[in-house]
Amino acid sequence: MESQASLLAARGLTDERDRLLTADDPLADLQKRCGGTLPGTLAVPELLEVVRHGRRMGLRIARDFEAFDGDSLISGVLRVHPIDPDQGGGCELLIENWQSRAVPEAGTRELAQRLDEIDRACAEVIVRLDGEQRVQLVQSSAADTAELRDALAQAVGSPWTDHVELEGMAHRQPMHWRLLDGARCRVAGSKRDWRARLLPLGSEPNAPRGFELLLVADYPLDVGVLEQEAPGLEESHTQLVGGALTPVLRQPIARIIANAETIRTRLAGPLRAEYSEYAGNIAAAGQHLNALLDDLADIEVVEAEDFSTEREPVDLGDVARRAGGILGVRARAKNIELVIPIGDNLPMASGEFRRVLQILINLIGNAIAYSPENSVVTIAPALGEAEGTIGLTVSDEGPGIDEEQAARVFNKFERLGRDSDGGSGLGLYISSRLAQAMDGSLEVLNAGEEGATFQLRLPVHTSD
Amino acid sequence: MNSATVNPVETVLRDELARADRALGGVAPVLGHVLAGSGHSLVSDAVVARVRGMLNDLAGQFVERLAAQAGEEAADKMIDFASVDALADQLANDAPILATLHATAMEGLLTERLDQRSNVDPVLSPLMQELIASQDAATGETAMQALAAQSRFMQGQRRMQQPVLELSSETLERALRIWVRATPVENEPRVTQAMRQLKAEYDEAQTRTGLFARLVSSMRSGVVAALELQHAGLAIFVSALASQSGQSRERAILACHDDQAARLAVSLRAVGLDAEAIERQFVALDPAVRLPRGFEDVSTDNARAMLQDSLSQVHQSAGR
Repeated sequence: MESQASLLAARGLTDERDRLLTADDPLADLQKRCGGTLPGTLAVPELLEVVRHGRRMGLRIARDFEAFDGDSLISGVLRVHPIDPDQGGGCELLIENWQSRAVPEAGTRELAQRLDEIDRACAEVIVRLDGEQRVQLVQSSAADTAELRDALAQAVGSPWTDHVELEGMAHRQPMHWRLLDGARCRVAGSKRDWRARLLPLGSEPNAPRGFELLLVADYPLDVGVLEQEAPGLEESHTQLVGGALTPVLRQPIARIIANAETIRTRLAGPLRAEYSEYAGNIAAAGQHLNALLDDLADIEVVEAEDFSTEREPVDLGDVARRAGGILGVRARAKNIELVIPIGDNLPMASGEFRRVLQILINLIGNAIAYSPENSVVTIAPALGEAEGTIGLTVSDEGPGIDEEQAARVFNKFERLGRDSDGGSGLGLYISSRLAQAMDGSLEVLNAGEEGATFQLRLPVHTSD
Repeated sequence: MNSATVNPVETVLRDELARADRALGGVAPVLGHVLAGSGHSLVSDAVVARVRGMLNDLAGQFVERLAAQAGEEAADKMIDFASVDALADQLANDAPILATLHATAMEGLLTERLDQRSNVDPVLSPLMQELIASQDAATGETAMQALAAQSRFMQGQRRMQQPVLELSSETLERALRIWVRATPVENEPRVTQAMRQLKAEYDEAQTRTGLFARLVSSMRSGVVAALELQHAGLAIFVSALASQSGQSRERAILACHDDQAARLAVSLRAVGLDAEAIERQFVALDPAVRLPRGFEDVSTDNARAMLQDSLSQVHQSAGR
C-alpha cells in the first residue's frame, strides 16, 4: 500500500494531448506562473517532456525535475502514471519532494546574455543601425508597427530616435547607446508600450560596428488569437484575489511551508520532537492557506457576472470513471472501494466536461474524506426524475447529513463543524455554483439518514 | 529505391555486414583496454561475464512471459533456449542497453570492492540506517523499500541477474521494442498481451534506482550527507552525485572507477565539495589515487563547466 502522504506534494491529471485538466495547488500555481492556464496545455517544459515521454511509452516513470517559476527553482520527483487509452488516455501526475529554493546567482554576464536572447526572440520590430545609430534596415511583424516600419524604411540614414517617442528623455538624441538601451518608448500607430534594446554588433563594445535595435512590446498584440486557439478557456477579467492577491501571497506562503518542512524533517540539524511538531503545524496551516487562496480565486471566477460554461455533450459515465481513476489512490489509502456501476448507454448530458469533472472530483473527494475505512463509495446514474435531465449520485457510508445541515451545506465557508481535513468549506459552494451555471443543480438527497448522498443533475444534451 | 526489387536476403546480408564491421572495429580498443588495465579494468572478465549473464537473464524473462501468455504450463515447462539466446544476441546489439548493463555490473563490482577495501556495507550503510529511522514516516518507508531493493540487487548481481522490472524506463522501452521485433509474426497478439501486462506491473518509481532517486530528492539540502562514500554507501552516493551534478546515474557510477578518477574529482568539485572531502572519497575507493596539486583552486563553476563540456562532447560524438 502506498503511504507517501508527506512525500507527495501535488497531483494532477493530463489528457491525451498533455493538457493539464486538474491539479493540486502547488502544481496549479506552477502551471500559471509558467504562463499556462488550467485547464490548458502543461506549460512547464520540464514536466511536459517527462509526461509526453511516459505517455508515449505507456510506462509508469519517475524523474527528477527542476523548473523555474519566475522567482524560484522548483525541484522534485515527477511520477507519471499513463492511463490506458481505452479509458481516455492521458496521465496521472504525482509530484514528490516538492522543493522551492532561491535561484543561484548566475554570472551577470550569463544573465545579460539570456535577457538579450529573450528580447531577440520577443522583439516585434528589429532594426539594423550603423555605428552612429542611423537606420539601415527594418523588419517588423506586428500589424500596429506598419506605420513605424514604413517611416523607418523611408528614412534610411536618419537616427532611429527621430521616429519613436522616447519617454522621459528630452535630451538631444541620439545619446550614447548605453543610455538608450532599455528606454521606454511609444510608437506611432501602436497603443502598446514599447521598450527599446540596443545590442552592439562587433567585438569591440566601446566602438561598435553597428547596433541591433529591438523594440519589445509589453504584451502581445492580439490576445484574441490565443483564445481562439484554446477554446473553452475563460477570458481573464479583473479579479482581486485571483489576479492581485494570489500571486503576491503565493510566494511568502510557499516559503513558510518550505522552511517549516525543513524544520519539521530536521534537515538543518537535530531538534526536540515538540518543535518539529510545531513546524509540522505551521506547514499544515500554510498549506491550508494555499488551498484557501485557490478556492477564493475559483469563487471569483464563478461569481463573476460574465461567467459562463460551455454547452457540449458530456458522457457522465466517462467523467465518473475518470474522477474515480484520479481519486483511486486516495481511496485505496483508506481501503475504500469506489463502485461505479454505469453502462455506456446513458444519454449525453449538456455541460462543460472539465467543470463536471471538477464537481465530481469534489463530491467523490468529500465522500472519501468523510467515509470510515473499509467502506464503499458509490457513484450511480439517476434517471427520469425530472423530464429532460440526467443525474449522478455520489453516496458514502459516512456519518450522513441532517436536515439542518443540508440547508446550509452549500453555503460559502460552511464546514459543518468538521475541522480535521483542512478543507476551506468552499468546495461544495463552488460545485453548486458550477452546476447552476450549466443549468443543472446539486443537492443532498437523503438528509437525516446514515451516509450522505449528493446528486448532480444536468440537462440532457439535445443536438440542435 | 523501389522496395519491391530489394531481395530480402540482401537486407539481411547488409545488416550482417554492418554488424560484422562493428565487431571488427571494436576488437582493438576492447583488447587494448583489457590488456592495459589492471585487474579492475573497465572491461574486465568479471564485467563481461556479468553483462552476458544479465543479457541472458533478461531474454529469459521475456521468453518466459511470452510462454506464460500461451498458457504453456505443465506441458512444456522447458524453456526454449534457442529463442533465449537469439533474443540475448539481439539485446547485445543495442549499444544503450549494453551501456546500462555495463554500468550496472560495474556498480555491483565496485560495491563489493568497497566492502572489502573500506568496509562499507553493500546494503545497509550508516546513512541508510538513519534514513530508515527517519522522523518522517514516508521517508522511512521509502528507505526500507530501497534497502530491500538494494539487497535484491546485490543478490541478483552475484547470480548475474537483471530483473526486467528493475530497468530504467528508457532501457525497458528499447528492450521491449527489440523483443517485439524478434518475435515471429504469428505470436504478435501474445506479445502485445504480454507487453501490456508487463507495462501494468512496471513502475519506475519502485525500481531500485527510482527509489534511491526519490530518497535523495527527499533529503533536500541534507543531500550533502549522501556525498560521503563511507557514510552513504555507493548506491545512494552515485544517485546523489548524479542528481546534484546533472549527469546520468550510469555516468556517476563509472566516475567511481579508478580509470575515471578525474571525472569523479571534477564531479565532486562541481557539486561543491572541498578538496579535503574529495580526498576522503578517493581514500575509500582507491587509496592509490591522489588529487593533482593545485586542485583546490579549481572553482565549483569551472568544474561545472568542464563537466558540461565533457557531456556535450559525448553527445556530439554519439550523434555522429
